[in-house]
Amino acid sequence: MGTIRYIFRRLGYGLILMVGVVVLNFLLIHAAPGDPAEVIAGEMGGITEQMMADIRARYGLDRPLPVQLGIYLANIARFDLGMSYYFDRPVSQLIGQRIWPTVLLVLTAQVIAIFLGVVMGVLASRRPNGPFSGFVSVFSTVGYAAPVFWTGLMLIILFSVIVPMFPVEGMSSARFRGGGFAYALNVAHHLVLPATTLAIIFLAQYARLSRASMIEVLGADYVRTARAKGLGEGPVIFRHALRNAVLPILTVAGIQFGNLISGALLVETVFNWPGMGRLAFDSVLRRDYPTLLGVLFCASGVVVLANLVTDLSYRLADPRIRTGGR
Amino acid sequence: MPLEKTDALMSLRDLKVEFDTRHGRVTALSGISLDVKPGETLGIVGESGCGKSITALAMMGLVPNPPGHVTGGSIHFQGEDITRARARRMRKLRGGEIAMIFQEPMTSLNPVFTVGDQITEAILLHQDVSRTQAEKQVVELLATVGIPEPAKRAQSYPHQLSGGMRQRVMIAMAISCRPKLLIADEPTTALDVTVQAQIFDLMRDIQREFGVAIVLITHDMGAIAEMTDRVAVMYAGRIIEQGTSDQILDNPLHPYTRGLIGCIPVLGREAAGAEALPPLAEIPGIVPPLHLLGEGCAFAERCQLADDHCRAQRPALEIPALQNGGHPVACHHAGITTRAELPA
Ligand SMILES: Nc1ncnc2c1ncn2[C@@H]1O[C@H](COP(=O)(O)OP(=O)(O)OP(=O)(O)O)[C@@H](O)[C@H]1O
Ligand SMILES: [Mg+2]
Repeated sequence: MGTIRYIFRRLGYGLILMVGVVVLNFLLIHAAPGDPAEVIAGEMGGITEQMMADIRARYGLDRPLPVQLGIYLANIARFDLGMSYYFDRPVSQLIGQRIWPTVLLVLTAQVIAIFLGVVMGVLASRRPNGPFSGFVSVFSTVGYAAPVFWTGLMLIILFSVIVPMFPVEGMSSARFRGGGFAYALNVAHHLVLPATTLAIIFLAQYARLSRASMIEVLGADYVRTARAKGLGEGPVIFRHALRNAVLPILTVAGIQFGNLISGALLVETVFNWPGMGRLAFDSVLRRDYPTLLGVLFCASGVVVLANLVTDLSYRLADPRIRTGGR
Repeated sequence: MPLEKTDALMSLRDLKVEFDTRHGRVTALSGISLDVKPGETLGIVGESGCGKSITALAMMGLVPNPPGHVTGGSIHFQGEDITRARARRMRKLRGGEIAMIFQEPMTSLNPVFTVGDQITEAILLHQDVSRTQAEKQVVELLATVGIPEPAKRAQSYPHQLSGGMRQRVMIAMAISCRPKLLIADEPTTALDVTVQAQIFDLMRDIQREFGVAIVLITHDMGAIAEMTDRVAVMYAGRIIEQGTSDQILDNPLHPYTRGLIGCIPVLGREAAGAEALPPLAEIPGIVPPLHLLGEGCAFAERCQLADDHCRAQRPALEIPALQNGGHPVACHHAGITTRAELPA
């Protein structure tokens, strides 16, 4: 199967999935008790019957539910995600502002988790019964079991109270006036703790997985062949073994992307990171349904894209899939 | 055993390999002595678990560690004790002077690289040539081992080739740097019979063309009859009989060796020219686990001829005093075939 055809097919499936996500969430939200019009009205204060009716008409809340859904889907097709009840601004604008901090946070966490996880796994696999290997096993179990907000709070205590090294709130210093590189550094400084917190859960999984995967691959016949041709340990491990050991890690990385985004919601809340997760959290509290739906829609889009990228890199890494073999 | 001067390409003297296991330290090889002469084919036979592969890996300096250790003896290759060689030196020998092919062609090649790249890697490692030259050599090598459309096949991934083709690729990789010694650990066990014959033909051709010495590990006496000049029979980590292929096949002195020959299926028996053999038989019992080996002969439990002497004292590998001559064998009753012949 050609790669281009494959990409289009996957994008098609992804689109269907995203529509499904929207429909499901739309129905769930409208099944929840509470009248959005009252929420909107509550924000204004001193409301009359007439104003309530106006609000309903303006946001289309007076139509039957299927019609509302149809309108919403038709709008999405035109990249119109509606108006936020709370901010009274287009949802797409809100998300446009918030999506990049989340993408930055999630990608940084993913890169840290995969890189450190693989490094730990490789080191542990060198001596499967050695002390470091034991440490990795214990660390993975603890890191995986610890709730993300607990890890976050521990890091906050450690790095702001005990050894104040990193900022624990926001994405850049409030009074920061520099531009360009200095701004990037400032953001990076703020990124350390949230990204580390988010990375730790996933790091634990990648470490355990790559340890197991490397131990298995190092026992494989082709690794023995690589040694038999006279290769040193470096090329044996990094060229022959690791290339094969990362294949299951790639698969898991793709699957984990969705979890990473929901983890980001908690981390953004703990660290007051101005991303989509915070936006979603605030919209739930404020019953700002258009914003919440928009966030869910975009998040599912990100997950679909991430899965596609994962699958493509898997195809690149494993010729058995690329060339349609066993 | 004292280290005598030999004209051997490789000589093992009293080689001992031990493994750390759940049952404590077990001895996988307890004092193996072997010579491989330049250009000859030496067969090593024995049942599963007797230590054939560990012997081969020791010759490559590749005993898995942990859990394995070479704890005694020496392996001289062209006069140099490779059990004491530095890692750098060993890497130079491996793939360069001593090459190895394995039992499982399906899994012995790395699935994520083309076969051409995998051979090129070996060439670049040991020869001072450019990548382009190495790739040219690869195509020639693939042609030498009988792979059709070698230039195209060099671009293939292992999963795109059949088992026989992959074993040919392994052979091409093994001979790419003109080694003096080729160790083949059950190279045809995983292949079907017609392909087995083709691979053996190829190995013979390669030997004629390159003059490489071959150590052929097998549990197939038919292959021994067809391929080897000399044979060492192994049992439970020791060599129990050693001689020329004719000596071993025509005049086996150890009851275990006779049992192995009795196991040759008809095809192999004809090749062995041994019509007079007793009907196809199997050796009763199993090889005792290494950690349960005692003081006596390891084969005693399974041997019809075994007596108290056998169970109490392990026979040494030596040439017995027999009228029709003999070759080294480790048996108190060497040359005796039935209980009736035992001395009272
Ligand atoms: N990694 C290991 N750990 C512990 N013991 C081992 C290990 N590898 C081999 N052994 C022991 O060494 C002995 C010899 O094994 P070896 O692989 O050489 O057998 P073999 O004669 O090649 O058998 P086969 O015909 O099945 O290939 C076995 O009894 C096994 O128990
Ligand atoms: Mg073996």
